[in-house]
Amino acid sequence: MSSILQKYGEVIGFPAMDGLMAIADRLRGKKIVHVNSTKAGGGVAEILLSMVPLSRELGLDVSWEVIEGDEAFFACTKTLHNSLQGMSGGLSDLQGEAYMETNRRNAERLRPILEEADYVFIHDPQPAALLNLMPERKGKWVWRCHIDVSAPNRSVWRFVKKQVEGYDASIFSLPDFAQPLPHPQYLITPSIDPLSEKNITLSRAEVVRTCEDLGVPLDKPMILQVSRFDHFKDPLGVIESYRIAKEHVDIRLVLAGGGATDDPEAGEVLERVREAAAGDPDISVLLLPSDAHRTINALQTASDVVMQKSTKEGFGLTVSEGMWKKKPVIGGDVGGIRLQIINRFNGFRVRSPEGAAIRIRYLLTHRWKRERMGVNARQYVLENFLITGQLRNYLSLLISLDGGEGQWERWI
Amino acid sequence: MDNRETIRPFKFMECSLLPLSTGIRVQTLRELRAALPSVPRSSIYYHFWGKMLRPHIAESEYINDFASWVDGSLGDTELAEALSAINPVTTDLGEIRSLLEDILDGRLEEDGFMSWKKSDREFYFIACKKLMFDTGRETDSLRNFPLAVKTASRESFFHHFLDARRRSSEGKDDFSLWLEQFGSETEAVRRRLEKVDSYLFSLGELRNQIVSILEKGLLKEGK
Repeated sequence: MSSILQKYGEVIGFPAMDGLMAIADRLRGKKIVHVNSTKAGGGVAEILLSMVPLSRELGLDVSWEVIEGDEAFFACTKTLHNSLQGMSGGLSDLQGEAYMETNRRNAERLRPILEEADYVFIHDPQPAALLNLMPERKGKWVWRCHIDVSAPNRSVWRFVKKQVEGYDASIFSLPDFAQPLPHPQYLITPSIDPLSEKNITLSRAEVVRTCEDLGVPLDKPMILQVSRFDHFKDPLGVIESYRIAKEHVDIRLVLAGGGATDDPEAGEVLERVREAAAGDPDISVLLLPSDAHRTINALQTASDVVMQKSTKEGFGLTVSEGMWKKKPVIGGDVGGIRLQIINRFNGFRVRSPEGAAIRIRYLLTHRWKRERMGVNARQYVLENFLITGQLRNYLSLLISLDGGEGQWERWI
Repeated sequence: MDNRETIRPFKFMECSLLPLSTGIRVQTLRELRAALPSVPRSSIYYHFWGKMLRPHIAESEYINDFASWVDGSLGDTELAEALSAINPVTTDLGEIRSLLEDILDGRLEEDGFMSWKKSDREFYFIACKKLMFDTGRETDSLRNFPLAVKTASRESFFHHFLDARRRSSEGKDDFSLWLEQFGSETEAVRRRLEKVDSYLFSLGELRNQIVSILEKGLLKEGK
């Protein structure tokens, strides 16, 4: 066992590591390719940054390709993303053409790799059209949808459906997100990497120094939300919760996030957040580079309560990250967060700023319960939401595809 | 039967359980009843057995998803209690489906209001694929057996203890079946294993309980 696998084994236990290795052995010699739209920023890139090296450590032939697009393409895919999460407004003909043209260009560039691959994972809608542009493909293709498409804009879903119905399978994070498609739809939750810079244990000195460098004093309880500056993450709702809670407990709020290269709306949302926070010395709005993983780790470690007050959420990686650092998490009662947070066990699910505020007050005034919930939170992530488990499920899925539609239980 | 030459080793297997959307979701008891005959067998399995391998906490009140939904989302505690009385260990998947249908029919007949009451959260029928494989680990020693069980993965433990009771025509777990070859030497341990109510604990808790029985029976009693 390599030293990296050894380290994962120390976290998840060696029997679990043996199981993962046994599954990986059955895919030795197969070429597996992941394709997404950004190398950095956002949950998908983060997962792949961990999953691809881990897969290689297991002896698998795995590569990761990123599609190249211009501003018009990413403006279009942002509209796609928002509309699939239920926002009104459709895709214009011009945007539809920009989407297809970018996929055509990328298809030409990636054709040799993708046509030869035994298995291809296409992440999210941005590169989804690649399948129809590869008629000579020889492998099985899986569409991995990371976003909450429980109530999509129907015209936009029809557009996406045309791109994805030819896949051999798709993966959604929750059953609520699955849509009628003519292939098996697997349900697999995303995960975090316990060995990444974002999740390793930092020294107290480093945590304190990082906060000092960021201008965040550790003089009062810290409420933290880490997320992209995106309407669906509801940063303005977080500020409102903070203001309500602050009438009762003296707290500090940190909103930290970065932009993803495929998110053109982040600047506008950030501006609105800064306006809302202006004049309050106890609110810090931090725009961090997409690779500031250690900084985010330090902030999460220093915080007392982690928030993820999303109004739509495929799955809250920052929820799992906070929990991994033994923090109870207050999250929006939506999407994947419903699977991550169990009320009063490892945090609270809320539906309004007022609801979030009362939970902030409760957690800060019940220290023993806060600590107990934090311990539960870490154990819950250990058992359910680590990268090793997600990879195990992905590899099992690939093996199951080769078994056809036959029996639901079988020996491999 | 304690002849080393003839002892059959215990081979540790594992399983991967992959949930699949069926696209079937219901909001009322009547819809639940109407959907039951058409859902795949694997969906019945998943809603009775899958809980153990997916995110859950041990404190859940009910032992199957149907009962949890009926109580949590429809507020029908009486029906939830009736549904939770179904014993999936001694009942095959086809029979479980029939039992569910019978219990729901009874409830729908006796309470018109409940049949139309909408839940605040839909019930999603989830199917699954289960892949089982050999881990390559094995032991043929009674003395090493408790430790081997203790250090097996949770999926392996699930396969050999919980799922095995469903697969076995006699409702026996794989550990007990293996221990049978040692005859009277392991009889007391097997009796204790048989009495474990496997459904009311998390996998971790259950394993601790089983390992404790094996340690007491196979190590401390000098077996």
